[in-house]
Amino acid sequence: MIEHGPLLERLLAGDFICEISDSDGFRHLNNEQTQLAINHYLRPLNRRIVSNDERSVYFLAYHELTPDAREHLSSQFALTVQSLLPVLEWLQLIQETLGRDSALTAGDTIKLQEFVLRTEDNQSLRQRLNTLATDRFFNSQSEALDQQVKLIFRRLKEHGYLRQPHGDRQYYIVTGKIDYLLDIIRFIRDEEHLPVDDAPAQESLI
Amino acid sequence: MAASKTALTSNLFAIGADRLALLGKHHKALMQGYLDGYIDESALGDSVLKKLMAARILWRPDEQQPLMLRPLVSELIASMVADENRRQVNADVAEKLEQIHNRVQAYKEAQHKGDYSIAETQLQRLTEQVHDMSGQFEEAIDSLWNRLNSDFGFVRSLNDKIRENERAQQQLRRLLDGLELIDFNTLIELSEGNSHLRKLLVSQLQSQLSSHHSSLLEVQKRLIGLLAKFRQQQSRSLLINNMVAYLRQHPAYHPADYPNRVQVPVLFNQAAHLQPKGSIALDRTHERQTLAELVHHLPKSASLNLPEQHSANFAELFVNEEIAARQQALKQDVENFYLHVVDNSAPVSALGYLEQQALTWDGEIWLYQIMADYQALPRHEQNMFRLRNEEKPVSAANQLMLIHDIYIQLRA
Repeated sequence: MIEHGPLLERLLAGDFICEISDSDGFRHLNNEQTQLAINHYLRPLNRRIVSNDERSVYFLAYHELTPDAREHLSSQFALTVQSLLPVLEWLQLIQETLGRDSALTAGDTIKLQEFVLRTEDNQSLRQRLNTLATDRFFNSQSEALDQQVKLIFRRLKEHGYLRQPHGDRQYYIVTGKIDYLLDIIRFIRDEEHLPVDDAPAQESLI
Repeated sequence: MAASKTALTSNLFAIGADRLALLGKHHKALMQGYLDGYIDESALGDSVLKKLMAARILWRPDEQQPLMLRPLVSELIASMVADENRRQVNADVAEKLEQIHNRVQAYKEAQHKGDYSIAETQLQRLTEQVHDMSGQFEEAIDSLWNRLNSDFGFVRSLNDKIRENERAQQQLRRLLDGLELIDFNTLIELSEGNSHLRKLLVSQLQSQLSSHHSSLLEVQKRLIGLLAKFRQQQSRSLLINNMVAYLRQHPAYHPADYPNRVQVPVLFNQAAHLQPKGSIALDRTHERQTLAELVHHLPKSASLNLPEQHSANFAELFVNEEIAARQQALKQDVENFYLHVVDNSAPVSALGYLEQQALTWDGEIWLYQIMADYQALPRHEQNMFRLRNEEKPVSAANQLMLIHDIYIQLRA
């Protein structure tokens, strides 16, 4: 158990463990024996390891849903719902700004400076970024593009969507938590029958 | 006949070399034509254009159209620069097999007639054709790998990539079908009794084709994997875009209260964070060393550099009440001692007073406090007292003077 100390600490701290955020820890969690051992250890803390369906990201869930636990889950959920639109819009904005042909996925690298440079000279992108930065979730008080972008990336890093491999270098790697967010969206869509399609139109299948 | 044949080949040689030179001579205009899809006729002279057309490098598909590169020339360039957008994959094996079959018959007939020079030419052509067939697979496999390794980067949108991937998979299926057509039993029969043919058509071809076959299967596996990845990316993009559109159209939308369902879906069961903390255990002797090191590593200068006022505040904050009370009592006693000195005109011994009053202070502390109080007095008040230290060297050998007592007298 000793060797999993750092991993346990990260899990207990509420981190999401994926291939990108902690490849060693992720590998250990893929091992069922290790999972059993960790779950055994976590039992008195009312915690257990869970993952999304594709097992691309692990995090801790409550074992028993006490009233306190439910209260926490409610506030957690409110935060997730609040972050939904801003994070999705950020994904769209990055995809369009950097001219990528697909949405960001875990492991993609974003250079902050490149993003700033491309946004700078484009009035409509600039406008959209400004709207996004002042969203409650990011809550930027600054008018300067550079500051807004930095704040957005910092907030996403705090929420575990991005990893910054070197503290002094402005490039970020997308983590598996993005998968988790998209899984939540799919779940809500299926559950509530929202008209949100993710199958390609028939035209491209011909 | 031999002479006319030599003449024919030399003639062929001359024309071919000439025309290849044309390609080299106008390489820039031709390459530009490859990229643009037509030739800029104003860039080349009339006679040059005529020559290029005569050499079957350029052609005009119909009167209204500009001059273009012949498809074979385009194909040659595409293959040379591995331009996957325009590279052709020729999967037609049946035709090649038929040619090979015919060549073998012609070769056998010539041998039968004893016409060895013709037989040799036929064998050479046959060798070319067999290599050609194998090369056709090699070219196709190279093209497929190229497309795979670049993630179909030569087309821009994800939809195009998916279409290209599907096209590549179809080509691959045709290539595999083509490989199936090659029946080695027939080829063995065909090359019966001739070691040249057997080597060419059976052993050599077989090893080449089997390596092509395994390459193709590997490519197919990778293509299918990549297509799945493309589709996944496509579905992610669609999900994101459609969800954003939905949320924008329904600003008041709020999802159901999943955390308070009887069965909370696992995705919404995200436990609160705990931060485990630990300190050094003082009951373990072997950790004292660690603690000592930690203390040793504490920044030292920090407290020294603080302004005076801060250190005063700091000290006051942490003064123990008991110690403060004792300090106060000591000062009080020293003050009484000074009052006693003022009342007496003769010198008073500090230690003598201590003994006389039966005070419990340590002698040394007592003397220090008396000196401290003396130093704390304003200069003109200090002059009102006369201090005499009773001193003795430590030993005969050590001249360090130790104060044994202090006598204080009020100046008259």
